[in-house]
Amino acid sequence: MSKDGSSFFFPTLLNEAAKWAQKNSLWPMPFGTSCCGIEMMSTLSSTYDLSRFGAEVVRFSPRQADMLIVAGTITTKMAPVLRTIYDQMLEPKWVIAMGACSSSGGIFDTYSVLQGIDEIMPVDVYVPGCPPIPEGLIHAILHLQNKIDKGMDRKPAERPTFDDALNAMTYRKSYSDIKADFVLTQDYIDQQKASAQEK
Amino acid sequence: MRTSSVAPGAAFVSRQESFNTRLKEKFAQGRKLEFDKLAEPVLWVRNAEEAKTLVKAMTLDPEFKCDFLSDITAYDNQDGEDGEQRFVLVYQLYSTTEKIRLRIKALVAESEDAYSITDLFPAANWLEREVFDMFGIKFKNHPNLRRILMDERFTGHPLRKEYPIKQREPFKDNIQFHLGANPLRVDTETAQSEK
Amino acid sequence: MSQNPNSQTDFYNPNVLINLGPSHPAMHGTLRVMCRVNGETIEDANCEIGYLHRAIEKLGEDKTYHQWMVYTDRLNYCSALNNNIAYAMSVENLMGISVTERCMWIRVICMELSRIIDHIICVAINALDLGAMTVFWLLYHWREEAYTMIESMCGMRLTTTYARIGGMSYDLPDNFTERLWKFCEEFPRALDEVEGLLTSNRIWIDRTKNVGTISKEDALKFSITGPCLRASGVDHDLRRDRPYYVYPELDFDVVVGSNGDVYDRYLVRLEEMRQSVRILKQCNKKLPQGPLWVSDKRVHIPEKLEVYSKMEVLIHHFKIFMEGIDVPKGEAFTCVEGPNGELGFYVVSRGGPKAWRMRVKSPSFMLFQAFEQSVKGGKIPDAVAHLGSVNIIAGELDR
Repeated sequence: MSKDGSSFFFPTLLNEAAKWAQKNSLWPMPFGTSCCGIEMMSTLSSTYDLSRFGAEVVRFSPRQADMLIVAGTITTKMAPVLRTIYDQMLEPKWVIAMGACSSSGGIFDTYSVLQGIDEIMPVDVYVPGCPPIPEGLIHAILHLQNKIDKGMDRKPAERPTFDDALNAMTYRKSYSDIKADFVLTQDYIDQQKASAQEK
Repeated sequence: MRTSSVAPGAAFVSRQESFNTRLKEKFAQGRKLEFDKLAEPVLWVRNAEEAKTLVKAMTLDPEFKCDFLSDITAYDNQDGEDGEQRFVLVYQLYSTTEKIRLRIKALVAESEDAYSITDLFPAANWLEREVFDMFGIKFKNHPNLRRILMDERFTGHPLRKEYPIKQREPFKDNIQFHLGANPLRVDTETAQSEK
Repeated sequence: MSQNPNSQTDFYNPNVLINLGPSHPAMHGTLRVMCRVNGETIEDANCEIGYLHRAIEKLGEDKTYHQWMVYTDRLNYCSALNNNIAYAMSVENLMGISVTERCMWIRVICMELSRIIDHIICVAINALDLGAMTVFWLLYHWREEAYTMIESMCGMRLTTTYARIGGMSYDLPDNFTERLWKFCEEFPRALDEVEGLLTSNRIWIDRTKNVGTISKEDALKFSITGPCLRASGVDHDLRRDRPYYVYPELDFDVVVGSNGDVYDRYLVRLEEMRQSVRILKQCNKKLPQGPLWVSDKRVHIPEKLEVYSKMEVLIHHFKIFMEGIDVPKGEAFTCVEGPNGELGFYVVSRGGPKAWRMRVKSPSFMLFQAFEQSVKGGKIPDAVAHLGSVNIIAGELDR
């Protein structure tokens, strides 16, 4: 970097080299929950080989991966788990929302399904389909590689923060006007266990 | 031999029919015995306690030998068509030796407790937990009556007819629960004060 | 753990709480097994499910019968055709409709094909967990072949939604019989290769024999069904005991194991795949020509050509899809022998286009309950092998 801040030739080439290395060796962390997980497995296996594009090393540890493929429906019970995994990944990291369920909730607009993982984390590529065929996932990865190459990034205002994620997972109480007449407490469980042991 | 989905093979139908006649003679006194669309018998009992005694009798009976529990479920009887009480508890039994099915239904009121059959069938453990989770029917003497499909702190019972399908439930401390006592980098006081 | 957290003995307490958590390397889906571990021995296990609870049963009360067909694919997504057909069968039973001959044979072909692909997944993932990756690559190629055939039938590989109430959505393509013959000729060779790789492999036998044993009494007590029940020695197969469709006319053997361990389940699944190929060959030979749709006006979805040209047919089509079919009051519990076990649909209808209660009795639910009990006392690697062999599909488990 020269004194007035403009890039020198060497760092630019280094930047390009870094991007080339990143895009051609995206190590996926497959987070397959449901049907899209099976199609992801098909993509990773021999017929539609994903390792052609550098994404061979599927790392099931988030600390060793840089691309998170969320394949399948994410429920409100699973959301904190997914957010934890996302937080454990190191920068730079990219997220692919594979399938309709992780993009927008899919066909499940119910009380327990997250309507898209972009409620809790920023997503780079959405893959439509239910489930998307393996060529679709490959297209998404190529698109992501393109995106890394061009240095495209979402505007900072669109990226949900950790507090947004918290808000999404803790919904507004005003929706719920069900009064709980029975609250399951530890005392009740102990009482039941005791009476079961007596019998 | 021609078969279809409604009229199955001859040997199996005759066995089920002879079972139905013996069931009528033996167990149907004072109880309503119906036959559903597949000619499988449905025995209505008066309350949940009787359901448990009947299930026990079915397992011990040398003729029927219902040794396999297929399913325990329930449905909401909110419009009162099957009786006055709120829920209908359904037990599906099967006999592996006689190869016949039997369904036992009991009417359970909203504040009433049903009786757990985990001492007869260990398989009933999770099935009854699911009925509790989805409907709110509690089972006496169940070793582990907690929610199974929903989160532990969920209030409300989803499969009841008045529960709207899109209504979510807030979990104020869901993050703290799953991330342990110290979540990653959030200030717990501000997170709670935002509600 | 220990009552007194400050005591010195707590330091020497060997028990550790380990989470085979919802995010699983073994790609089994969203299950959680909390184990209290002493060294590597699991002293106590507590399983938690519900991480994929998508309220499919509640949606059954919200959607019409035809609309809900889509959700049945997502139950056991490894063998979606089977679920579609089981559900169509349950609604047809409720309405008192019996489908045509050709439809029955096509449905049996679909069910056996889905049995093959589900068993492939189970054996391949089980082998992958224990390190035998070659089996995974080998068998997945055949899964793609089966997918290509399924795609030629209904247009979609995985979530097929092929069956309709009263018939099937499309007839088989013209060259399907030849392709099915080719599949039936070549697929058993892959099974021979897998057998050569695994069955007498010292490492495989050491890892899977006497591991995850579920005894005969336990299997019946925990109401498990399917290949796991048969591997434990119980001779129970709904295709033979309570037959449906054309199974009485087909010649096949029911595979029963002896020990109930992982090795037996693997052998039972391999042999069941061979029996399924045998059934497919017979179906291919005996497949009759004829109408695909039952001629019942309540459910028969008319041909598109007629819908676009005749007025009454257009209105009929409109009524079926906008209002839904009118199912009479009643209930039915229909079980089929799915690849994973006894899949049952308990449909309660109070008349009208929507069900009053749509209950799915899934085999994985009971299997996971049995797993929770049988994993206690074993070691963690054994738990992984056991989990792979029991074939828990999370979509079916949580619905």
